[in-house]
Amino acid sequence: MSRQANESGILSARGVSKSFGGVAALHDVSFDVLPGEIHALVGENGAGKSTLVKIIAGALSPDAGEVLFKGDPFKPSDPGAAAEAGIGIVFQELPLIPDLTVAENVFFDRQPLTRVRTVARRRLRAECVEAFERFSLTGIDPEAQVRDLSVASRQLVAILKALAADPSLLVLDEATAALGPSEVTWLLEQVRAAAEAGVAVIYISHRLAEIADICQRLTVLRNGESVGSWRNGELESEELVRAILGRRLGQLYPGIPPTVKPKVMLETKGLRAGRRLRNLDLQVKEGEILGIAGLEGQGQLELILSLYGMLTSHGSIFVDGVEHRINSPRDALRAGIGLALVPEDRKTEGLLPTLTIRENLALPVLHRVSHLGYISSQKEAELVGPTIHRLNIGRQDPSQLAGDLSGGNQQKVVVGKFLISGARVLLLYDLTRGVDVGAKAEMFLTLNELAAEGYSMLFYSSDVTELVNVAHRIVVMFDGLVCADLLNDGSLDEEMIVAHMLNAADRTGVVGSLVR
Amino acid sequence: MKLAVPRRHRSIALAYLLLLVLVVVGRIVASGFLGVDHIDELIDEGALIGFVALGQGFVILAGGVDLSIPWVVTSAGILVTTFTGTNSSNMLWDVPLIIGLAAVVGLINGIGVVFLGVTPIIMTLGMSTVVEGALLLYTNGSAGGNVPHPAVFLATHKIGQVPVMGLAWLVLIVVVTFTLSCTPFGRRLYAVGLNRRVALFSGVDVKLVTCSVYVISSCAAAFAGIALAGYVGQSYLGMGDPYLFTSIAAVAIGGASILGGTGNYIGTVAGALTLSVLNALLPTLGFQPAVLDIVYGMVILVAVAAASLGGRARTD
Repeated sequence: MSRQANESGILSARGVSKSFGGVAALHDVSFDVLPGEIHALVGENGAGKSTLVKIIAGALSPDAGEVLFKGDPFKPSDPGAAAEAGIGIVFQELPLIPDLTVAENVFFDRQPLTRVRTVARRRLRAECVEAFERFSLTGIDPEAQVRDLSVASRQLVAILKALAADPSLLVLDEATAALGPSEVTWLLEQVRAAAEAGVAVIYISHRLAEIADICQRLTVLRNGESVGSWRNGELESEELVRAILGRRLGQLYPGIPPTVKPKVMLETKGLRAGRRLRNLDLQVKEGEILGIAGLEGQGQLELILSLYGMLTSHGSIFVDGVEHRINSPRDALRAGIGLALVPEDRKTEGLLPTLTIRENLALPVLHRVSHLGYISSQKEAELVGPTIHRLNIGRQDPSQLAGDLSGGNQQKVVVGKFLISGARVLLLYDLTRGVDVGAKAEMFLTLNELAAEGYSMLFYSSDVTELVNVAHRIVVMFDGLVCADLLNDGSLDEEMIVAHMLNAADRTGVVGSLVR
Repeated sequence: MKLAVPRRHRSIALAYLLLLVLVVVGRIVASGFLGVDHIDELIDEGALIGFVALGQGFVILAGGVDLSIPWVVTSAGILVTTFTGTNSSNMLWDVPLIIGLAAVVGLINGIGVVFLGVTPIIMTLGMSTVVEGALLLYTNGSAGGNVPHPAVFLATHKIGQVPVMGLAWLVLIVVVTFTLSCTPFGRRLYAVGLNRRVALFSGVDVKLVTCSVYVISSCAAAFAGIALAGYVGQSYLGMGDPYLFTSIAAVAIGGASILGGTGNYIGTVAGALTLSVLNALLPTLGFQPAVLDIVYGMVILVAVAAASLGGRARTD
């Protein structure tokens, strides 16, 4: 028994299989994590990572195989039992209780009690403040209600909750998906510190740069099977992408094509909106992908929303040299601006899942496919067909329900909607959040093709690596202004952009509100 | 043979199955059920429910609910007897006037919901009370007058073997079904009901669409009120009362989600006919009218529960 524990580490899965209705989500998967090791689990959406996590958490039980925890067969009956055994899990979907305070959430199942078994509020608060200090997390009030926090802050609280329970195994399932760069840096520091203290970590992320940065070993899953385990650095990044995707696509980033033309397609002058967008001057040229970087909440969302008429704005907006007043999405569409947006709660807002692909695509252009007041299905098919074909959406069957598509394909429908609408400027807000590597690679190829056809794009992403590899030019936003405008001519890298983002914060002395 | 009903129409097929079962049960247990005269009655009463459920269906499709229907029905019924009386030629002016008044009520509902942000239940309930009060003031508490001939013709006459009201309903069924499934307005309405934000992002004028369903609902209720006055041969305060529950029940039985975004009028037609058959069948089985209320209530609850359970199964 103890011999096995020494060999196989703190947690090992042995030949674990799990099927749902005859479809194998996991097939004969084995892997193990050593104490003090950060072990990354990578793979596309649907590769089986989350199923594996759920089995470890006790939310699912395997059909075959077993999980050993500290050398003993481990079958937690529910997530509570797993937590008691010393497994801390940060799930992809945030399982915090919105109506409770931060402190109550962090100590949810182990709140300090008074002698009459009521919650000892003062002690709870003190313990929470202590936990914040111990993990050097600042900028969040322990007394704040979770529902009032931003998604990123909520994610930080969920991570803190897992860390504060002093687990012997920490599982982070896409914990960075909602985080900005400085918060990711914080998380990676904490994870490293925990590992040095002997905690075993299973780290799941779509961001390969993070994985290269932090893990000692990685295991790749594909279609529910384990492709293999490697030490970090053993695989070149292309080899890793190939291991994740199979032979489908060779690389994640297709390279930045020279498609920028001199004509200015979108220009803002003195754009102001809400409290966060103060005075923004911006130019996007024809065929240009302009990346928008910045710490969370520096006016990026306000910029996108005001360009799309969802937020009342002041200042001037020019599209193709003509000034437009944009007070509603209808105005924006008329001016030739389309928006593909992935909102913060990860459910796509560009799509009606119970309608077909065709109905979704035609929604912004119904006036163009109708004749004498009714919708001509022939015109509709003529308009929609080429887009489905060209974006290579799903099985390319327009009568397929949009909700049955994979996340990446759903995003393509959202983009396709605005291509059909005749928009020449596309606003892409966190388009790739939570989308797997394969779908990302396809999405970037599509963006390149669109740029080559002269579409202009405003590309906001919380993933700096993505910006560096996709955008022609990157503007860094801080406090509602552009604080740096960087041409991505090959000399830029992630660190330089993050440095700009943080420098601006340092200069203006608002560091207190940020995670350091 | 494989049953080829598309997923989104399955609940509507279910509504027709329910209707069929009720009809068969009625034929077995009650003699004279579905005789020639009886069928006319079932169609006429089904049509009245169908008219109110038409408007309610539009509102529910957009994600709201219209509780002002009963008093709009009553008002229209009373106005048509008191304004117009037996002087049929007045009807040419009075009917558009009554429906126009109803449209104003609907417009106020719509404005309240869209621009003032009042929830549909409160807004339409408040409007219902306002209409009720105005009507009491106007009638001094007692309705009277005679039903004009065209309304009687619509509600009780036949062309050959076919009741006129049934024909009118058929025309409406065709128009509404076409509007919902083949026009930009219909498509936008579904989009608004499914997810207002997606609709807004897609350039749909959500406010206009939402407003218009309340106008449609009030107009349909007013039309139903006029037909009802013709059908019962008089008008009285509270004549529209049964139509609140039936309008919602018909839509729910017809397979529409009570939360909006799904269902169509073909399903609601089955719902209206089902209610009309239940109406006729339960008394012949010796049940009291009170039992009918219990059955109505249960039907709505079961339909809503089924819809939410179905919805949950879909997202899992």
